[in-house]
Amino acid sequence: MTPFRSDELAGRLFIVEGIDGSGKSTQLDLLHKWLVSEGYLVVFSEWNSSPIVKGTTRRGKKRHLLSPMSFSLIHAADFANRIHAQILPALQAGAIVLADRYACTAFARDAVRGVSRPWLHRLYSFAVKPTVAFYFDVPLEEAINRITEGRPTFKYYEAGLDLHLSDEPEESFRLYQGLIQKEYEQMLDEFALVKMDATEPLVVQQRKMRDIVRPHLAGVKRADSGGVQEALHEAGLRGRYLEEAARRKDVQA
Amino acid sequence: MTAIRFFGEPPPNISGETLPGRLIVVEGTDGVGRSTHISLLKEWLEDRGVAVLDTGLTRSELAGPGIKRAKQGHTLDPFTLNLFYATDFWDRLERQIVPALRAGMVALADRYIFSLIARAAVRGVPLEWMENLYGFALVPDKVIYLDVDVEQLLPRVIGSTGFDYWESGQDFLRGPDVYHTFVEYQTRLLFEFRYLASRHQFGVIDARGDIPEVFRSIRYEIEPVIASMGADEAPLPRAKRSRARTTT
Repeated sequence: MTPFRSDELAGRLFIVEGIDGSGKSTQLDLLHKWLVSEGYLVVFSEWNSSPIVKGTTRRGKKRHLLSPMSFSLIHAADFANRIHAQILPALQAGAIVLADRYACTAFARDAVRGVSRPWLHRLYSFAVKPTVAFYFDVPLEEAINRITEGRPTFKYYEAGLDLHLSDEPEESFRLYQGLIQKEYEQMLDEFALVKMDATEPLVVQQRKMRDIVRPHLAGVKRADSGGVQEALHEAGLRGRYLEEAARRKDVQA
Repeated sequence: MTAIRFFGEPPPNISGETLPGRLIVVEGTDGVGRSTHISLLKEWLEDRGVAVLDTGLTRSELAGPGIKRAKQGHTLDPFTLNLFYATDFWDRLERQIVPALRAGMVALADRYIFSLIARAAVRGVPLEWMENLYGFALVPDKVIYLDVDVEQLLPRVIGSTGFDYWESGQDFLRGPDVYHTFVEYQTRLLFEFRYLASRHQFGVIDARGDIPEVFRSIRYEIEPVIASMGADEAPLPRAKRSRARTTT
């Protein structure tokens, strides 16, 4: 039993979890493109992206103001805002929502900082239960190699330097990710995480992911493109201003 | 010395110590006169030789500016708003209140978790969720609750700030005009406050009287808390113990 709300919603919610460097974002991005090409209405939600809250998170990170509890609370605020302003309405409208990281990310990161697990589970009880939750499992060393390759510096909280595991950022990052991985492993059953072998070739992972997602798509609304592509084709246009207009919309939102 | 006590599970890093200071909270709805009495109280405490930290909602370095900005947009669901307030609350607890208590000061809080719980309750947020959220809050040594009826609030509010969007519950109530939503909202809020007052043994002060009378009652409530710190003796004010008011 997960602590999440499980209302009957018209849409579907697919989420990915895993440590940094597990390749989950790459796989979710491929899934996104596939679902769009299949004509589904897809909404993508990213961790730490609430327009109302993320400024405060950034402020806290920049000034090193975040303690374990404030780190936990501000991320919960960001998540709550995305649930209520973005994820839930989209699901009610029958869309497919893809989330890169979900509540388990908070559970893992906060628990390794000493925050009570039962408290966290009750705190996140407003979260919608995912249709499928994928966990990208990767050996720690491989994930570290993927991340450290060509990256000279780590940010303070990203490396878990606030946990004082090591003064050396790369070593701190390694220890921090190891602790998070242990938390994930303990959550597999409780949160029905579907384990993906993240060491397999990317195409193989993506094929498996689509096979798991496909049966859940029955009866889901497909987007009506509005015929833009058709209009472009008919008039021999390339639509060079459409992209600009979409960008403007993004900025406004 | 008072052993540190929390409403729920202790938060990481600050459990199991004893704090020589005292935490005094002044609660009450908008326009009830909290800031006036806190100003008087601060001076009175300092005259008694007690060092005072005063703090209030949205005054944290971390989340204060963000909350003010967010409330201008008027598009917040109650969960996000409450988590935002909780971030602000925790930041002040950890970085202002607890250090002050460690140093033996009186921390004087203008509103505490009770205002936040009352506001959330009238907006339909489950009480259990709010109580779990604020499990990390320190149990105050004294909560002073300034109690009035809506009829007394009206002239005060009109005479000062006017009807504020949030203080009239306009984010979730619909009514023919601001006056009606204000009355409706504050009536519901007072109901929640009075419930919390009996549940958490607030020192309930009848705030319908004039300022000297109310302030005498407040001093009467606080005197034992201050005396237990070994502060200079002061003659007790003559006010009768204020009676708890019944819910209307």
